[in-house]
Amino acid sequence: MDFTHPTQPEYIVRREFLKKLAAAGTAAWMTGEPQAIWAKTGEKVVQPKPKADACILLWMAGGMAAPDTFDPKGYLPFEKGLEVKRMLSTFPAIDTAVDGVKICQGLENIAKVMDRATLVRSAVQPDLGSILHSRHQYHWHTGYVPPQTVACPHIGAWMAKVLGPRNPVMPAFINIGQRLEGVGESEELKAFTTAGFFGSEYGPMNLPFPEEAAQSVRPPKGMDPGRFASRDKFFRKLVDQSPHRDYMSDYQQQSMLRSLDNAYRLLSSKEREAFDVTLEPKESYAKYDTGRFGRGCLLARRLIEAGARFVEVTTEYVPFLYWDTHKDGHETVAGLHKEIDMPISQLVRDLEAKGLLDRTLIVIASEFSRDAIIEGKPGSNASDQATFKVEKIEEAKHYGLHRHFTGGTSVVMFGGGVKKGFLYGQTADERPLVAVKNPIPVEDLHATIMTAMGISPKTQFEIESRPFYVTIDGKGKAVTDLFA
Amino acid sequence: MSLLLRSLSLSIAFAAFANGAAVDFSHQIVPIIREHCAECHTGDKKKGGLSMNDRKSLLDGGEDGAVIVSGQSAKSSLIAAVLSSDPDEQMPPKGKRVPAGQVALLKQWIDEGVVWDEGFAFKKPAYEPPLKPRKPELPAAVDGRMHPIDRIIDTYLAQKKLTRPQPLEDAVFARRVHLDLVGLLPQPEVLDKFLADKSPEKRAKLIESLLANDIGYAEHWLTFWNDLLRNDYSGTGFITGGRKQISKWLYESLVVNKPFDQFTRELIAPPGPDSRGYIDGIKWRGDVSAGQTVEIQFAQSVSQSFLGINMKCASCHDSFVDRWKLDEAYGLAAIYSSRPLDIARCDKATGKQAVASWLFPEIGQVDAKAAQPERLKQLAALMTSPQNGRFSRTIVNRLWQRMMGRGIVHPVDAMQTEPWSADLLDHLATQLFESGHDLRKVLAHIATSQAYQSKAQVIDAGEDDHGYVFAGPRAKRMTAEQFVDAVWTLTDAAPKKMDAPVLRGKVDKEAGKSVTLAGQWIWGDSAKGPTAPPAGEMIQLRKVFKIEGAIENVIGVITCDNEYTLFVNNRLVAQDDDWTSLEALALNDSLREGQNSITIIAKNAGRGPNAAGLYFEARVKHADGKEETIATDESWQWTSTVPSVKEGRLGAAAKKEDWRPAFVITKPVGSWVTKIKTEAPALLARGSIAQQPMVRAALVKSDFLMRTLGRPNRDQIVSTRPNDLTTLEAIDLANGQTLADALAKGAKKISARNEIDAKALATQLYRHALSRDPSPNELATTQELLGPKPTEQGVQDLLWAICMMPEFLMIR
Repeated sequence: MDFTHPTQPEYIVRREFLKKLAAAGTAAWMTGEPQAIWAKTGEKVVQPKPKADACILLWMAGGMAAPDTFDPKGYLPFEKGLEVKRMLSTFPAIDTAVDGVKICQGLENIAKVMDRATLVRSAVQPDLGSILHSRHQYHWHTGYVPPQTVACPHIGAWMAKVLGPRNPVMPAFINIGQRLEGVGESEELKAFTTAGFFGSEYGPMNLPFPEEAAQSVRPPKGMDPGRFASRDKFFRKLVDQSPHRDYMSDYQQQSMLRSLDNAYRLLSSKEREAFDVTLEPKESYAKYDTGRFGRGCLLARRLIEAGARFVEVTTEYVPFLYWDTHKDGHETVAGLHKEIDMPISQLVRDLEAKGLLDRTLIVIASEFSRDAIIEGKPGSNASDQATFKVEKIEEAKHYGLHRHFTGGTSVVMFGGGVKKGFLYGQTADERPLVAVKNPIPVEDLHATIMTAMGISPKTQFEIESRPFYVTIDGKGKAVTDLFA
Repeated sequence: MSLLLRSLSLSIAFAAFANGAAVDFSHQIVPIIREHCAECHTGDKKKGGLSMNDRKSLLDGGEDGAVIVSGQSAKSSLIAAVLSSDPDEQMPPKGKRVPAGQVALLKQWIDEGVVWDEGFAFKKPAYEPPLKPRKPELPAAVDGRMHPIDRIIDTYLAQKKLTRPQPLEDAVFARRVHLDLVGLLPQPEVLDKFLADKSPEKRAKLIESLLANDIGYAEHWLTFWNDLLRNDYSGTGFITGGRKQISKWLYESLVVNKPFDQFTRELIAPPGPDSRGYIDGIKWRGDVSAGQTVEIQFAQSVSQSFLGINMKCASCHDSFVDRWKLDEAYGLAAIYSSRPLDIARCDKATGKQAVASWLFPEIGQVDAKAAQPERLKQLAALMTSPQNGRFSRTIVNRLWQRMMGRGIVHPVDAMQTEPWSADLLDHLATQLFESGHDLRKVLAHIATSQAYQSKAQVIDAGEDDHGYVFAGPRAKRMTAEQFVDAVWTLTDAAPKKMDAPVLRGKVDKEAGKSVTLAGQWIWGDSAKGPTAPPAGEMIQLRKVFKIEGAIENVIGVITCDNEYTLFVNNRLVAQDDDWTSLEALALNDSLREGQNSITIIAKNAGRGPNAAGLYFEARVKHADGKEETIATDESWQWTSTVPSVKEGRLGAAAKKEDWRPAFVITKPVGSWVTKIKTEAPALLARGSIAQQPMVRAALVKSDFLMRTLGRPNRDQIVSTRPNDLTTLEAIDLANGQTLADALAKGAKKISARNEIDAKALATQLYRHALSRDPSPNELATTQELLGPKPTEQGVQDLLWAICMMPEFLMIR
């Protein structure tokens, strides 16, 4: 399956789209070319040449402990009476495809593709006085610490707004794996899973269950394609016959109907097959079938192939579940390793095999790291949120990294213009495991991602007569060392 | 703090700013020019021929030539003048010198090429709105058009040589006015009756009857107020108790049509806990930036909601877009603040402390030395003062915008903008004042005008590019709530349970007659005697119970001599310390199917031992119509252990063995008994009214469909909703389950009436949804769709097609 067929370069697809647009009026989705936007400083913001056309964010929700994943430290196995302060990692280190770069046991498949990766070990987050997932996730996803006076757009919405869809039929921003109803802190999740002041045109298409994604682009349940087409036909006829037509200008009428047209186009297009993971060949499906996250990676790959601009796949944030380990840390993370290892490595390999990796930026990230002792930054007065506050490990449930740590977090990037087999930044070998070399704050990490996508960190839009920047105050600086 | 010290700390802040990065014109240079140069070189001042109003003027220089050489600070005479100590040369000529840190910034700025914000200029705004109210003289009526609004607009149109918009047909008027005033489609019977009415007063009568529908009005305007006061039934902040709803207070205020000045005073200076949520804002755990503390949120919210002022810029630094200054934002914040409030500029301390003050001292000022509750009262009084025309102009402009599709001042949150008709704005504001701040009367005043009752303007792209002129009302897109209500009306698919913790409807003394009270007064063992319970005794009382089956509504009453705090399932729901006020409780959102607990922390007051007692009674109405009573009696338990309360949650429960059976007070105080007998039945009856009107979309939590249709997360104040239909919305409309289920339900119901033929069915649907009959062509198309004998599927598809038509989605 390959919708952006090599024999049909993107500009042809675009041209066809433009033709359709001529009939349908001006489309809000039509912001395909990077646009120069005047910055507040009076200088023209020059949008950098994009290194990637698409972005996949693999979100390790709940705080992925770097020492138990991509930044192994002193490992001590579980034993009764083990002093917590001696324990830095609960997994031993293993070799990767890159000499001298080790990651944690359990990530053997990812280890094999680390030669395609840029590994950042020095991402840092602010302390905020209370280490709350909701606030740090909001910060990471929008670049702004909540609360804010305006509803801030998600980084996916920024890409949708500035870059538009890669394929006009495909929604530009797709969010996989996160339920927004019926889970704890769902209101806090909704607060950043949005296009904010850009308006819902640029907002996420939410697909909490990858295996049910096909349903969201199919005609409603129980409606066959014939009936769907006929319903649309009658609708158009009734619209034409409505005397209301006389009370609207073409402009008004078309701006009402344009979106319905877009929707109908997606729902009856070939692209919608991309949403159906069951159409994947069995053998390939099996490689991704480690759980919802794994299947989400498969869905992301199919959507990127079909022309999506930004796809986030999350292990899902549910308080005290998955990466949010406040007890049983080791046990839980061992399970998560299994869930992410194969699908992530397969995603990298598949995109590479299809020739898409070079133009697709994959980012593995989390709102913060974890540590067995320190909550927040060293010296923070943030309250300790571990379930069991023990100094010596007596039971397996005590064994793990149960505190939120903001002083040094790992981020892994593949493809899309970043170096291959490259290590950047470093954390201390002894506690506190803070970034001791090249720390990258959230705004600079965002500036890097945005620059790779062809969006200047100074890009801004005006809201309520004030400029609002993609990185806070337009001050994020891309870490150009990471670029190939 | 001395001036010297102040400027020192400022310059340190600036120097820290400058570290390595390019100079930030608006945050670093503008304040320097404002402080040291503005007096003589900006606005209409051009001393020595030099104006610094904009970049070009500055570079052009003055009488002695250029003062700045871009890129070369060393060659710029401006820098030399600033550094000079020669009294004849130095700039500024008098007053303190420009601190070294600021000079360094100026140099850097010149070296970097005199970067200037696009469009920025140091000058007074061309328009400054008046503050005082004004009663405009009405022009003479033309062509018998007597309505004051029409007299003003007819004159406006005549002056501009514009034609009047055409009058609106009856049916379209009926649909528009229903949706605008009560948010619902007109029922076909109501429409038929209206159309058949030959009276010239029929439109006025219809408007009157709609506005007399207290519940319909309240449940429609609830959406507007929830947006403007950022109130919601779920959202960020509730989880940690950092946010409180004002739903119950708001609903009741709308039902009784509380005068708007009183309404505002109760929000700004809350008389009780029910309206506190507005000023308390949203408190997140942990540190927040200086521009987002609850005190600053207060300043921003009050300015925006009631004055149409955007205080967001000025909460961080002196605004670049309007006249508001950092000190003024903080002055407002300090009215609310119960701690000394340090002023921070761009999140950095200035070393200055805020002094409580409000924005328009010309009509009075709050006493900064008064206690916080008193300061809030003073602010409330100033805000609603007859001298504050900004207040009444802001709200009438919002109402005009809702009714007419565009504000007289536009956008509605930028009230510093010149209105397209000052007479019209001032006239409406006067109307509000003269009507006793009656919002419904203002709405009626607008709706009865020919201006409102005229055809909607046909708009083309870029219509307002060269300035707005009035050409009739503008069509509005249905809000998410209007759309969902309309679908529910057509399909009967509304849910039975609402989420809003409000007491629906009005208190009905008659209905109360059928209610028999079941509760008893209870307390702990100290009430057994021989002496009365000690003063200050604090105990905990609870009931743990199970509710079987789905709940439709729960209403309760509570009072306690002397104080109570009520927790349902360990979450704080209500508290009060006045036993003479019997509190009615909306518990539909707190109780749930399955296990529940009601816990009350009760406290006795007084100086010595005195009577203490608690009364609670709730009626749980089940979805199947059955009713269950939960009331204080011997099955309750008490303990002297009182847990802590944190973030609105009850701390760890007392040990099992600490709980003992509550003591039922055998001889309750006479005044207690009278209180309960006279008031509780009518309150409780509200929950058991068998025939409640349809649950409205505004009363349920936002769902996926409503969110995609533009119902905002109410984390910020939102005063206007998007007017465009987006692609993601359209996808959801085309295949979303919520809408599909509603339409399927409606289709099933409609096709069950099998006596109906296709023609009659289509006609009925058109009448209800579009307030008109289908044309012969449309009938033919619908026949084609439905076939000779309409199937459920056919009906469902027709329903969908109608609901997607621009004609349906627009209120025109």
